[in-house]
Amino acid sequence: MNSAPIIAEQLARHFGEVKAVDGINLTVNQGEIFGFLGPNGAGKSTAVRMLTTLLRPTSGTARVAGFDVVKQADEVRRNIGVALQDSAIDPLMTGFELLELQAVLYGIPSNKMKQRAEDLLERVGLTAAADRRVSTYSGGMRRRLDLALSLIHAPVVLFLDEPTTGLDPMSRLTLWEEVRRLNREGTTVMLTTQYLEEADQLADRIAIIDHGRIVREGKPSDLKRTVGDPTLLINVSRQHSDAAKAVLARFGDMRPTAEGTLGVGLKGGAERVAEVVRALDEAKIVVEHLELNQPSLDDVFAEATGHRLEGADNAPQAG
Amino acid sequence: MSTTRSVGILATRSVRTIQRLPSAFFPALAMPIFNMVVFAGTFFAVTKIPNFPTDRSINWYMPLGIMMGSAFGGVGLGFTTIRDIQTGFYDRLRMAPTSRISLILGPLVGTLVRIALMTTLVIVIGIALGVRFTGGVLGVLCLYVSALGIATMGAGWGLGLAFKFKDMRGAAIMQLSIFLVMFLSSAQVPLDVMSGWLHAVARVNPATNILRLARVGLVNEANADHLSWNSVWGGVVAIVVMCALSLVFALRNLRKLSN
Amino acid sequence: MRRKPADVLRQFVALSRRSTLAIFRQPALVGPSLIFPLFFAALGSSSFSRAISLPGFPEVDSYLQFTLAGTVIQGVLFGSVTGAAALATDIEEGFFDRLLAAPTSRTSILFGRLAGSAVFGAMQALVFLLALLPFGVTVEAGVLGYVSIVVAGFVIAFAVGALMSVVALKTGSAEAVQGTFPVLFILLFLSSAFFPRETMSGAYRRVADFNPISYMVEGQRSLSLDGISLVAMSQTLVIPLTLAVLTTMLALRQLSVRLAAR
Repeated sequence: MNSAPIIAEQLARHFGEVKAVDGINLTVNQGEIFGFLGPNGAGKSTAVRMLTTLLRPTSGTARVAGFDVVKQADEVRRNIGVALQDSAIDPLMTGFELLELQAVLYGIPSNKMKQRAEDLLERVGLTAAADRRVSTYSGGMRRRLDLALSLIHAPVVLFLDEPTTGLDPMSRLTLWEEVRRLNREGTTVMLTTQYLEEADQLADRIAIIDHGRIVREGKPSDLKRTVGDPTLLINVSRQHSDAAKAVLARFGDMRPTAEGTLGVGLKGGAERVAEVVRALDEAKIVVEHLELNQPSLDDVFAEATGHRLEGADNAPQAG
Repeated sequence: MSTTRSVGILATRSVRTIQRLPSAFFPALAMPIFNMVVFAGTFFAVTKIPNFPTDRSINWYMPLGIMMGSAFGGVGLGFTTIRDIQTGFYDRLRMAPTSRISLILGPLVGTLVRIALMTTLVIVIGIALGVRFTGGVLGVLCLYVSALGIATMGAGWGLGLAFKFKDMRGAAIMQLSIFLVMFLSSAQVPLDVMSGWLHAVARVNPATNILRLARVGLVNEANADHLSWNSVWGGVVAIVVMCALSLVFALRNLRKLSN
Repeated sequence: MRRKPADVLRQFVALSRRSTLAIFRQPALVGPSLIFPLFFAALGSSSFSRAISLPGFPEVDSYLQFTLAGTVIQGVLFGSVTGAAALATDIEEGFFDRLLAAPTSRTSILFGRLAGSAVFGAMQALVFLLALLPFGVTVEAGVLGYVSIVVAGFVIAFAVGALMSVVALKTGSAEAVQGTFPVLFILLFLSSAFFPRETMSGAYRRVADFNPISYMVEGQRSLSLDGISLVAMSQTLVIPLTLAVLTTMLALRQLSVRLAAR
């Protein structure tokens, strides 16, 4: 029997007519950081809620840490840690009190509780703030406390749900560093995120979910290679738009881009840029801006789903 | 063992908010006191109706104030739970490997501590304003049992509705239903003083039995409702049955949260 | 800035229309202040049918007959919280600032809001009078009595609305306005709205003697039970009018404080 820490088979969840998760297969291996990507409403939160025993699947099965999420929910709970979104903390309690609550609920013996809480507070750098109410914490502090809460029982598998949404770049880096450290110590991590860079930086493997189905899965580097050619992005004035499109189409397949920009998957790569510019020049098209992008996860995403994820970046709410 | 600890820590969280958020606890204290004072004042003459069980209006309306406060305090747990569900804090609790029963009993115990505090305060103020217990310690005990009983009933009902609706619609139903159950009873006058439709409704309303139990230590010694096995058992049965039903309702809907 | 009276009138009418419609378009807000007083009247008629023969009660056929005036006043008091809460919501949501940014007359903003409450108050009074009619509850003073009670509903709602507007203007918070509800509740119960003052004693009696609500209720009650009299008419109409003048002055002052703070 497969002993991977997360295995989902034909896992599905329907809400009435809506197939939020439409039969996904997923394997996360021991010691991996697995990135789960998707736009809001794609089904990633629903999938994670099923894997973390909060929601019952409509059909299919999932095993987490070796236990069935429906039939052995309590064993699953004992072995997973889940960092939720930042509001899921009672603002009236102090950091230490929340850790204490969590410790009792996870059955940590009283004599070990205090030491464990203090170790975790130190680990996430909140020792000084331990006795302050959570309502006085900054966004970054809340996330770090949240991480500490999810680690109270030294879980085998850690779920991080949009761990850095709404954080400033510094706090984001600190959190990433902590996740890497946990992973080095042997914790398997499943990370949901809307940030492609986050997945690129952290994840050993990723899965992209769209409309309830997994549309791509693999190592980020492999996935990027499948998209192949780099994307040439060009801005021209509006009246030249159609003519430019016709010229670009000779050099490769057009790719979805932001409004007002044209993109083409440039066959043959960087050495052909000059050729493109000459062709545009011959067609009397004035180029306002030009850039060549090597394939990114965003390209993988666009190719897989037909739309781009970046830009939805500014919306901090969860999917 | 682990369930007991879970219940304890969840109860502690609930009690702690009294001190952390006193503005939320204050109305829960003020309402029963105001009810007691204004009802006793405005319906001062009601005790002069022949066969009225007591000749002190405040003896009659203090238990009503306490019972209303307890019932609304009980469903108040539903309110805070709706907030916890909406912020996601409740997901954290549900993901813990602790028994589902402790998720209900913990906050319930916390609520009961608050209700006991409220009851004590209202009794002290009531005595200062002229309440005289006729049933001794047993009578006072019956008042506490009724208050905690109706609070448990309200809490189970409130939790169940919170799990079912997960938003403020649940809160509206909680308040309205508790309001109706409390007033369509012997809240204002005893059964044999009422007439017409209310009598028919109040006679089968379990709240009437529980209110009688609350008042056994406060009515005149000669009255049939004074502390005796006959006046007590109906209320005790009503409390046991209603609490069991409402807690089962809460537990069932808690389990359905993951559906 | 001088404004033509005709413009001010048009603005006032437009704002009154808005506030009146706003009240009627929110059944969830309006419903309780119509239903609860009737519920309490029904409750009282069953609970206190034997209380009416107690010394201190006037000669009445039923408790319902006695409680008509109390029901009207209760409904109007609670209903007027709704209008003021709407004013506070306007402030919270910025609609108030939008009005102020327009060359709208400042007083018509306030009076337009209060007019909505007042119309609703008159309507409540009418609803209560009609709803209790099938149960044999009539107004002895005849048409003039009915009209007076409806007018009183209008004026009381205006007066209490103005008082609540002071809170709304001061705090700008609908929650704070709703928070005054218990105060009204207590004032009402410490009056003769439910039982006659003659049946009360001690401190309660003294508070009820001082409480203007007692006299408004007793004026309407006398119109309903005894018929027309100068005392009853003036209690029914003059006390609310006096209150309305006072509370309007307070509200206007608070409005100018708020405007000055901008």
